Amino acid sequence: CFGWDPEGEVFFLLIQVLFFKGYVTTILEDAKIYSSHAKKSSVDADDVRLAIQCRTDQSFTSPPPRDFLLDIARQKNQTPLPLIKPYSGPRLPPDRYCLTAPNYRLKSLQKKVSSSAGRITVPRLSVGAVSSRPSTPTLGTPSAQTVSVSTKVGTPVSLTGQRFTVQIPSSQAAVKSATPTTPTVQNVLINPSLIGPKNILITTNMVSSQNTSSEANPLKRKHEDDDDYDNL
Amino acid sequence: MAEGAGRIGRWTGWGGCATLLSLAVLQALLLLFANVFAVGGGVVVEDQPDVSAVLSAYNQQGDPTLYEEYYSGLKHFIECSLDCHRAELSQLFYPLFVHMYLELVYNQHESEAKSFFERFHGDQECYYQDDLRVLSSLTKKEHMKGNETMLDFRTSKFVLRISRDSYQLLKRHLQEKQNNQIWNIVQEHLYIDIFDGMPRSKQQIDAMVGSLAGEAKREANKAKVFFGLLKEPEFDVPLDDEDEEGENEEGKPKKKKPKKDSVGSKSKKQDPNAPPQNRIPLPELKDSDKLDKVMNMKEAARRVRLGPECLPSICFYTFLNAYQGLTAVDITDDSSMIVGGFADSTVRVWSVTPKKLRSVKTAADLSLIDKESDDVLERIMDEKTASELKILYGHSGPVYGTSFSPDRNYLLSCSEDGTVRLWSLQTFTCLVGYKGHNYPVWDTQFSPYGYYFVSGGHDRVARLWATDHYQPLRIFAGHLADVTCTRFHPNSNYIATGSADRTIRLWDVLNGNCVRIFTGHKGPIHSLAFSPNGRFLATGATDGRVLLWDIGHGLMVGELKGHTDTIYALRFSRDGEILASGSMDNTVRLWDAVKAFEDLETDDFTTATGHINLPENSQDLLLGTYMTKSTPVVHLHFTRRNLLLAAGAYSSQ
Repeated sequence: CFGWDPEGEVFFLLIQVLFFKGYVTTILEDAKIYSSHAKKSSVDADDVRLAIQCRTDQSFTSPPPRDFLLDIARQKNQTPLPLIKPYSGPRLPPDRYCLTAPNYRLKSLQKKVSSSAGRITVPRLSVGAVSSRPSTPTLGTPSAQTVSVSTKVGTPVSLTGQRFTVQIPSSQAAVKSATPTTPTVQNVLINPSLIGPKNILITTNMVSSQNTSSEANPLKRKHEDDDDYDNL
Repeated sequence: MAEGAGRIGRWTGWGGCATLLSLAVLQALLLLFANVFAVGGGVVVEDQPDVSAVLSAYNQQGDPTLYEEYYSGLKHFIECSLDCHRAELSQLFYPLFVHMYLELVYNQHESEAKSFFERFHGDQECYYQDDLRVLSSLTKKEHMKGNETMLDFRTSKFVLRISRDSYQLLKRHLQEKQNNQIWNIVQEHLYIDIFDGMPRSKQQIDAMVGSLAGEAKREANKAKVFFGLLKEPEFDVPLDDEDEEGENEEGKPKKKKPKKDSVGSKSKKQDPNAPPQNRIPLPELKDSDKLDKVMNMKEAARRVRLGPECLPSICFYTFLNAYQGLTAVDITDDSSMIVGGFADSTVRVWSVTPKKLRSVKTAADLSLIDKESDDVLERIMDEKTASELKILYGHSGPVYGTSFSPDRNYLLSCSEDGTVRLWSLQTFTCLVGYKGHNYPVWDTQFSPYGYYFVSGGHDRVARLWATDHYQPLRIFAGHLADVTCTRFHPNSNYIATGSADRTIRLWDVLNGNCVRIFTGHKGPIHSLAFSPNGRFLATGATDGRVLLWDIGHGLMVGELKGHTDTIYALRFSRDGEILASGSMDNTVRLWDAVKAFEDLETDDFTTATGHINLPENSQDLLLGTYMTKSTPVVHLHFTRRNLLLAAGAYSSQ
């Protein structure tokens, strides 16, 4: 009888009640903890004030105060501007402050289709890799859309005409292990044609063999096109 | 709970001590809990002492119930004073009202504060109404602590400019009566800049006030500013058989009759107002830059001379289907590419010319090409992925500012996620993320010579960066509220920042000093434009006015009224004859800049007192108003031949 009426009063009151109830309950619980710690007999206004202060400090930060800003500004502005070295190519900060480090390794094309038939695509890339460019087929990012566009086109065109492999660490192993010892998915071929319609979120250890039959055709297609790439 | 809190501070004589005591108790409790609770993330205690030190400037100044009487007594006095003094003394109302209200709130006299506010807030000037609305929600002492802008307002002195006669009158009145309280407040929180001369009229005062800190002290605008342009390097323009023959930049025209070339300077003498070439280090000119300059000069020779008789044609680029998500636009200097920053955190680059956007081939493909061939620069580009549009992903929040580098190799974008990202336009990938502002960054711009860029954000500072340093080189701190707009001067030695505190500040890149403060806008500033000769600055804000400033003298020299909504785009034409302004009211207006800047009466008296009589000539200066169907204008750009390009997102309401 109320219906979904975002402009209506009832909706508004309901939202307010739900929000405030959660917020107020949290604050009062915190206040109870503080007052019992201070061995008081009942919850006091000061306890509530403290509870509110602690919660807001956790949830919100505000920009630094003015005197702090003036202070750091004075320090920064004292150092003279650095001289510019001529003829130094693209002027970028040291590599570890840039986002230019490659987070994938290119593997040369191989004809091992039969062994790759059992493999499934992609999982997450190695933890800690920052990928911010559309050429890396990451998952869960908007670039999945660009990838599916390429499947609609029909040919499994990977974005740069290359196939690359990714070293996937097993989920429990350390990120830096160069050779994952698990027999499950190791070097996985990423092919956008497989990613598109499936909307993958497969974890590293999953190798579902029942998919091989359904994958056979797309894989075959891929295999043929591999030949095309080789002949480029 | 409120009543209990109010009861603490009600004792007249001991009020101050009591509140300080309860603060100390609170502080002790917090410290205790900070030690006991090792909360992940930590209980932030460190700013507590600073804040309380700042706020303790509000010790009780007397009986809270008498505040209304003090204020109305002063009001009566000012209203009964002579006409010539009344306008100037009326400037006192607003800062006094705010400070007295905040004092009552801080000392927890809530009901007195409320009735004080109710009684007197209607008397204030209309342009303060937004601030008063914010103030009305500040009813408790706790509210004051989180609001950085309010805290800054408290600690900085509100500046008033009053003539000596008016000041003497005020001083005599306040000191003879018993209400020394107001005198105390005046001394503590206001800075009265006294000048000798005629008291100002209401109109003159209204033009200059409006900012959160009052006006600017005269001495703030006295530093020398090098507003001249840097000398262009001299090199020959190669004669082209097809084009008309260009001029040698040295000034000796070739066979044909000389064309007036305002790009290069003909005199060998150093312009006294121009900074020395090496005042700040600038990147050297590469071969590609030199080629670009030659192209620029060739285009300049073909440039249309604009004026009241010859208005520019306007070409409008409408972004369709952006659903109000378009937040930033930039166009390259040679008008070949346009970039849009969107609320979905993407940055999209389009090619405006028929030439598509190409990225460099991948490493494997590059190893296959013949490096010795003549057209190697074309071979390295990947034809297979050429397209008119490239989308750049990387930000995690709406993109509020974008800027192309002058050599068209890089693109900057700044976003609500607090980072400024540098993108390569050769590979269309992100190269660097500059972290420094931890709060939304509202605007960014490359220097006209490349290498340096400036950004300004919610943390109330602007930062100067160089592309090869991961930390800023300069921090420009001083604004009381968010820095909403940042622009380089054409000689790259100064940066103008416009802020939500309604002031514009000019900063020196060399040492980070603030060399100019311009007040007069009544709303946050959203657009800035330097004139091509570097002498003048045009600014636009949410109040719909465009103000013109003389940088050298530090004065307001013009006011252009006409727009009815926020002005988001301002641009001077290539030779500075026309100023174009674009606004949320869906119009582009063209103003006669030559006429606006001539006949400046900048005699000694004006520069000493700092005020000038603004002529009411907006109507004369307006050359044309061009409506769009339903598209607010977000960006304006004059091509090298003085065609005006405009951009905006179509909004269907």
